[in-house]
This record gives sequence, C-alpha cells and structure tokens, in this order.
Amino acid sequence: MNMPLYRQMLAINLKMFMNYAVGSAFYILLMFWIYPGIAKNSGSLNSLIDAMPEGVGKAFGLENGFGSIGAFISGEYYGLLYLLILSIFCILVSTQLIAKLVDQGSMAYLLSAPTTRTKVALTQAAVLLSGLVLICAVTTLAGFAGYAWFIGDLADFDGTGFVLLNAGALLLFFCIGGISYLISACCNDEKRALTLSGVITIGFFSLNLIGKISGQLSWMRHISVFSLFDPGEIVGKTANWPLSVAVLAGLGAAAFAAGMIIFRKRSLPL
Amino acid sequence: MLSVEHVTKIFPNGRGIRDVTFSVRRGEVFGFLGPNGAGKSTTIRHIMGFLKPDQGSVKVCGHDTWKEQGRFQKYIGYLPGEIAFIEGMTGKAFLDFMAGMQGGVDSAWRDELIRRLQFDVRTPIRKMSKGMKQKVGIVAAFMHRPEVIILDEPTSGLDPLMQKVFIELVLEEKARGTTFLMSSHNFPEIERTCDRAAIIKDGVIIAVKDIHELQSMQRKLFEVTFESEQEVNDFMKCGLKIDSREGSRVRVAVQGDVDRFIRETARFHVRNIDVFTQNLEDIFMNYYDREGQTP
Repeated sequence: MNMPLYRQMLAINLKMFMNYAVGSAFYILLMFWIYPGIAKNSGSLNSLIDAMPEGVGKAFGLENGFGSIGAFISGEYYGLLYLLILSIFCILVSTQLIAKLVDQGSMAYLLSAPTTRTKVALTQAAVLLSGLVLICAVTTLAGFAGYAWFIGDLADFDGTGFVLLNAGALLLFFCIGGISYLISACCNDEKRALTLSGVITIGFFSLNLIGKISGQLSWMRHISVFSLFDPGEIVGKTANWPLSVAVLAGLGAAAFAAGMIIFRKRSLPL
Repeated sequence: MLSVEHVTKIFPNGRGIRDVTFSVRRGEVFGFLGPNGAGKSTTIRHIMGFLKPDQGSVKVCGHDTWKEQGRFQKYIGYLPGEIAFIEGMTGKAFLDFMAGMQGGVDSAWRDELIRRLQFDVRTPIRKMSKGMKQKVGIVAAFMHRPEVIILDEPTSGLDPLMQKVFIELVLEEKARGTTFLMSSHNFPEIERTCDRAAIIKDGVIIAVKDIHELQSMQRKLFEVTFESEQEVNDFMKCGLKIDSREGSRVRVAVQGDVDRFIRETARFHVRNIDVFTQNLEDIFMNYYDREGQTP
C-alpha cells in the first residue's frame, strides 16, 4: 500500500462513492416506505405471482412473495436493481483506477515515484474495495433505519438475515470487482477495458436470469457467478451459505492477485 | 550513474530499438538526438522501467530499472514527453501529491522553482495551456533534488524566455553534480547544456559525439553584403564555399572553420552580416547521407 496515493485517490473519488451510497440508501428507504401499502394487498399480489409462469417469478426473485418485508426487499431490490448499481460501479471504477491511468499516461507519474507497481496496483484495489464496502455499509444501515422508521420495532426484524443478504452482495461484487480489475490491469485502452468488463458482467447477469426463467437452460446459471448470490434463498434460509461465500471470496481474491501479477510483469505503453 | 546496455525491444509492428548502448557519467548532461519515431522515447521508457527489454538492461545508480522497481526511482526525476496529470486536481494539489509520493521535498526549493518558472499553481490542470503543464512537469521533475533527471523534449511548449530560464536551471543543477539525460530537437538548447550527445535513427544509435564535434558538423550560412560588386568578385576568389550570389550579397557556407571565414571577410568592406543556422534535422540528414556513402 502507498498511503499518499490511497489518500489522493479517495479524495478524487469519495464524492462519487458517496453518490452511489446515498442513491442506494435512498432507494432502499423508499422500498421500506412503500411496503406497508403493498403488504395490505399482499394476498392479491401473491395470487398474481402464482398466476405467472414459475420461471419468471423466480427470475425476478418473487418466489417468496410479498408476505414479509425481508422477502419483499430481497426480491425487489437485491434481486435486480442493487445488482445493476453495483455492477456499474465495479465496471466504471475498476477501469478508472488502472486502465484509464495507463491509457492517459498519468500512470507514468505514479511509477516514476519511489514505489513498486505491485504497491500501486494493491493501493488501487484497496480504493475500489473501500468504495464497495462504503456503499454496502451505508445501504445496510439505511435498511435498518428504514425498518425502524417505517415498519416498526427492530426487535421483530430478521436482522441476521438482512446482514447476511448484504454480506452476500458485498462478496458477489468483491468477485465481480476482482474480474473487472483483472481486465483493467491487462488493458492499455480504457474503452476496451470498459467494454470487456461490461460484456462479461452483463453476460454473467443474463446467464443467471435466463437460467432461472427456463428450466431447460438452468445449466446456464452454473457458469455465472451471480448464481452464488440468491437473495430469495438467503432470506428464505435455504442457501448453501458457506459454499457460496468460499467460492466468491476465492474467485475474487484470485482475480485481484492475478491482476496485480500481470500489471507487475507487463510492458506499459507510457 | 546511468548505463543502457545492449537494450533491444522490437514491437509487433517491427519497429523498435536495437542494441542501444551508452552510459552517462555523474554530473554530465547527455543529449539524445534524433528525428521523430527514431526511438528516443522508447529508450527513455526502458530507462524508467515502463517497458520490459527483450534483451539487455538499464542501470541507474547500480539498480536494474526493470527488475528492481521501487529502488531506483528515488534517484530519478522524470519529465514525460507527453505530460498527463491525474484529472481533477490543481497544479498545487498535484505537486503536493507528488511530494508525498517522493516522501517529502524541500518546499523552499519547490517554491523557488515555481517563482522562477512564473506560473499560478492554483490553476486547475484541465484549464492549463501546454506550456503551463510543461512548467508543472519541470517542477515535479526537479523538486526532490534527484541525482539523475530524465527530460523528454523539455522545452516543447515553452516560450523563448522560459527556455532560457530552463537552461539556466539545468546548468545550475549540473554545477551541483546532477546528471541529466535530455532528448531534444532544439539544437541551441543541446548546444548550451550538453557535454555529449547520442544520435539515434531507426532504433539504432549511430553516433555518440562530444558536443564540440557536433558543433563542427553544423553548417552555417553567412549572408554577407559587401560595399561593391567588385569586392564580391575578389572575395569569391578566396576559395570559401559560396552557396549563392545576388548582386553585392553573397551566401557563404561555413562548416567548422569560422575563423578562416572571418579573416577572409575582414579584408573587405562589409555592410551587413546575417547568419542562418542549419537546423538539427538538416544536420542529421547530412550525417546520415555521409553514413550512407561510406558503409
């Protein structure tokens, strides 16, 4: 780690990190705010979902219905929108932290200072992870605040389930962020890095979605890292939590390490 | 201080540098000359450890710049050929940041550099002109008082006054024992600062010359206006190489032997003398042509 670099990168990016965090927190508060209205009609909504083909409901995380706030949030926010927000965050930020600096040439200044490439790469990874942790932490806190504010006593809230849900999302994006970071460390061209990590992330996302909708294509899910984070199963306590955690953490750590090694070993067009 | 040993790097498009070897002694200012695309920047990128050589190595103060990243940089100040700063900062924020990366600098010296180069450090980098960015880059290369300073086209974008200030800076630091490697197109700048220079073409070093030798290679055209045409006729018998004649005006080509030209000319009444200095590209052309004739 290089502290002056870490501080400078945070100074430049903190505002953007906060925008993502506040946006996500605001949205989750909104979800808690509208839930009581939906809960009153949950019976009719549930019968609507039952009327839909089974795959569609599963794909969008509706299989737990609208009966509990946990099921509602996991399906409506953690099943789709939150994943998109964090995907975009990982793709954009990881590209900015390495490929953009190489493409522009400002990486020359970082490497002309008395530090090593490994330290620079490690610092940039730390900046990416700091942003990710910040967004996830603010979102989690906003969830608890939202429950206390709009729903009722926190004692009735399945806090453990909600924390596990957020920890799962964080780990999933530790893995996605690692893959985007690896691509960013390999690319000399900012646009190419952006396109590649975008295609891979959205590709994984789509494979998971298609696999859920169609029973015949369910094998597709298993090549997507998104299948390791199933909000419905986590809240419904049917997820294989230790396995998912181990695979996501292992894949993410391997991708970050590979990115650092490749960045250390390759010629840079500066 | 700095030695480049048999560095070869061939890019996929077939261009690159081949077997580049030279060394720069402590306290020496070493010029690096060559046309665009000859391999100057590629060589400098190897010195900075950005590119991995196919063969050979670069050592700065005894440290291999590819294998020992992190060790050699503290001896080096670097001005890139194409400056790119991190976006969203002011000049001051950038210099503070680089000072932090260097582990602290003498702020009195940094302020003096800024004062001498005359620019406003509070300007956001995205609003800076090319010359102003160049000045920020020069401060960043000099401010930590490194032992070796690598400058890629240092005066591009600077006005003549600032070029003069820059040359003074280089000479002062040279007097303190700082070693320089400087690539350039600007012959007066090389002439005034460098002790030796290497000429590179198509990725191959074709000569490492003492600066006086290079000066003697430089052809100058003196345009002399005499009092009368009769004097011109007499002057033309002296055997100096005459480039062209127009009435009482004569253009004389002088390469090296300025003394003889002065003595011959002084025998007549001279109204005016103008001098046209051959630019560096022309010297290269001459040099390459001669190389071609005697393979």
